[in-house]
Amino acid sequence: MSEENNDNGQNKTLDGVVDRLEKHGMSRRQALKAIIASGLGVTVSPLVSRVAWGAEGPGGLPLARPGEPVTLPMNGSPIADGLKPESGTFTVFNYADYLYKSILDDFGAKYDVDVQLTTFANMDQCVTKLANNDVEVDVTEITPDRLTQVTAGKLLQPINHSYIPNLEKNVWPELHSPFYDRESRYTVPYAVYTTGIGYRGDKISEDIPNMDNPWSIYWNAQEYAGYTGVLNSPRESIGLAMLYRGKTNLNTENPDDIDQALEDLKALVDICNPQVNLTQYQTLAQGKSWLHQSWSGDPLMNVWWYLPEGQTADSIQYWKAPRGMGPIQNDCWAVPQMSQKPVLAHLWMNHILDSKNALSNFVNFTGYQPPINSVTPQKLIDDGTIPKHLSSCISEPEDLGPDSLQYMTLTSEGQRMWQDAYARFVSGA
Amino acid sequence: MYPRWLWKALAFPGVLWLVLLFVLPFYAVIAVAFGTVDPIFQNPVPIWNPFNWNFDNTREILAQFLPGRRYWTVFVRTTTYIAFAVSISLLIAYPVAYYISRHARRTKVLLLVLLVLPFWVSYLMRMLAWVGLLAPDGFINSFLIWSGIDESPPNWLGGHDGTVIYALIYGYIPYMVLPLVAALDRIDKSLIEAARDLGMTARQTFFRVTLPMSKMGILGGCVIITLPMFGDYYTPNLVSSSPSTSMLGNQIYLYFHGGPQPDVGATLTVVLAIFLSILMAYYLYSVAKAQKDLQ
Repeated sequence: MSEENNDNGQNKTLDGVVDRLEKHGMSRRQALKAIIASGLGVTVSPLVSRVAWGAEGPGGLPLARPGEPVTLPMNGSPIADGLKPESGTFTVFNYADYLYKSILDDFGAKYDVDVQLTTFANMDQCVTKLANNDVEVDVTEITPDRLTQVTAGKLLQPINHSYIPNLEKNVWPELHSPFYDRESRYTVPYAVYTTGIGYRGDKISEDIPNMDNPWSIYWNAQEYAGYTGVLNSPRESIGLAMLYRGKTNLNTENPDDIDQALEDLKALVDICNPQVNLTQYQTLAQGKSWLHQSWSGDPLMNVWWYLPEGQTADSIQYWKAPRGMGPIQNDCWAVPQMSQKPVLAHLWMNHILDSKNALSNFVNFTGYQPPINSVTPQKLIDDGTIPKHLSSCISEPEDLGPDSLQYMTLTSEGQRMWQDAYARFVSGA
Repeated sequence: MYPRWLWKALAFPGVLWLVLLFVLPFYAVIAVAFGTVDPIFQNPVPIWNPFNWNFDNTREILAQFLPGRRYWTVFVRTTTYIAFAVSISLLIAYPVAYYISRHARRTKVLLLVLLVLPFWVSYLMRMLAWVGLLAPDGFINSFLIWSGIDESPPNWLGGHDGTVIYALIYGYIPYMVLPLVAALDRIDKSLIEAARDLGMTARQTFFRVTLPMSKMGILGGCVIITLPMFGDYYTPNLVSSSPSTSMLGNQIYLYFHGGPQPDVGATLTVVLAIFLSILMAYYLYSVAKAQKDLQ
């Protein structure tokens, strides 16, 4: 296609966006101003095209997908280079039990500040508290599927990479400019994990990794009834049923696909009566569950922290789907607009991406791998950090390619469909 | 002489308490149920003016409670669990209360203290203790295997109706015993003596005098434990977490806990409140009738 044709196409698409905004009560001039102010019309052609065919996320921003990267609009400017760190109390906003205290203490000692941790129970609570100013925090954990929402709501400030040399130095190249945040305008990565099947090798007789369709183990798990579990998450549980059917579009908003997944999940109640919870990081080791949909950090936590005396590590197994056939995701750090200590927030990001700190946080506490170059399966096996049979718990940079399966932001209608289907599943109706 | 307004003024703290801690929060829930949702953050946006309320959602959700529809199964399951739990609680609590009221003389205070003792430990901790006991390798199963009662006992935490009902009974039974003790204590002993003097057997005295006169305690205890059970979501979560034992409270929690439909959670809360207010109306009617009968 010639450049001229391409320009014409873009102009037509831009017209489409303007038309849509006009329909939402804006004048044509206001709509154009809004597009120009957000920088979308100039810098974000993928955004324009996606909006045009209807895949708008919150605030009309585009929905990022692994093969369809998005550059988020800048909400203000990053802090200037070379500023001195602030003093006082620095507040980190994160899940409970998802950060090694020693890392916080080291940061406080290094910059001579008090560091405190404020926690949230889930990402909904995180976003709500940030949006309502219910907390005063300086740096926050955030997941990529919420990035569109918090950017549209102007809850984050752009970051200045000059404070975070460890991003380029230590982090996987695939995450220097990730698809959900091109140019890493707002985020740096924190942990990366796959979703697979955690199971007890001494209780499950099937050779799960060598099954034609390992996801189907749940639909053949009659003899493990009462000892099976799926993740207490609308996306993950419905995604499990989709993968069972070989459907790899985990961001689908096709009602037929969602209905089919719901029917398959409902069938599980009679087959193996699965528990729907997030306790798999300990229940596999404790023998309360034998087959549980798990994140890749969970088997490691089972082995490291919860294995009863006398039980060997090889009782805990983890099956990870082949590349592009199972979910992989990562968490991030970002600086909220409300941050009173943005310099420290940047330095925190650099601190957590330090290879030594990242590894310590992983192996001493969270069990969730940082996407750091020096953290490789072979190295972790060689130094005895993880047992060889759990090397599948460790992801590699290539796992994050454009064909990777990642749960990302849905439209409002899509979110409603997924939530309703999940609510029906867990109601046992 | 005291001024007449003084007696009305004494009610002020109670009225204030009710307004601040019940009326306003409940109005907020209604405003959320009939309100909208922030398009970006998906937070509830309450509509405070009743003239602007949107009832479409409520109509749709109410329709889903009909047989065969979306909430029918979970509603029936919840009601069944609670009916069993309340009935069994009553069967256990009444003899205990009767004993404390009638036969425990010097040990009465001690027994009452022991009854209140569970309140000193949080509900969550008490339930977690039972999770440990009911675990596949917990004391219950170890005992069953050791005693030869069951060589391969079930996983009690693997989604059993009985486990959830049992947990509800365990969690709420102290609330049933206390009103019963109070009701039985209030029965004038001379009435019982009169019944026996007039030739009634002990059994007849119980069924014709004691039981009818403790009806208010029975109803009060049932109401006190029924109301929180209907909103309970953590008990099935802790001892089962299976869809097959999910209760209506779990659905409310799910919609409030996150996602784009907090208004659905609020609407379910309102629907549940309406249902419970029907039960409460019966309770209040019974109280009024019982008081009239006594006069």
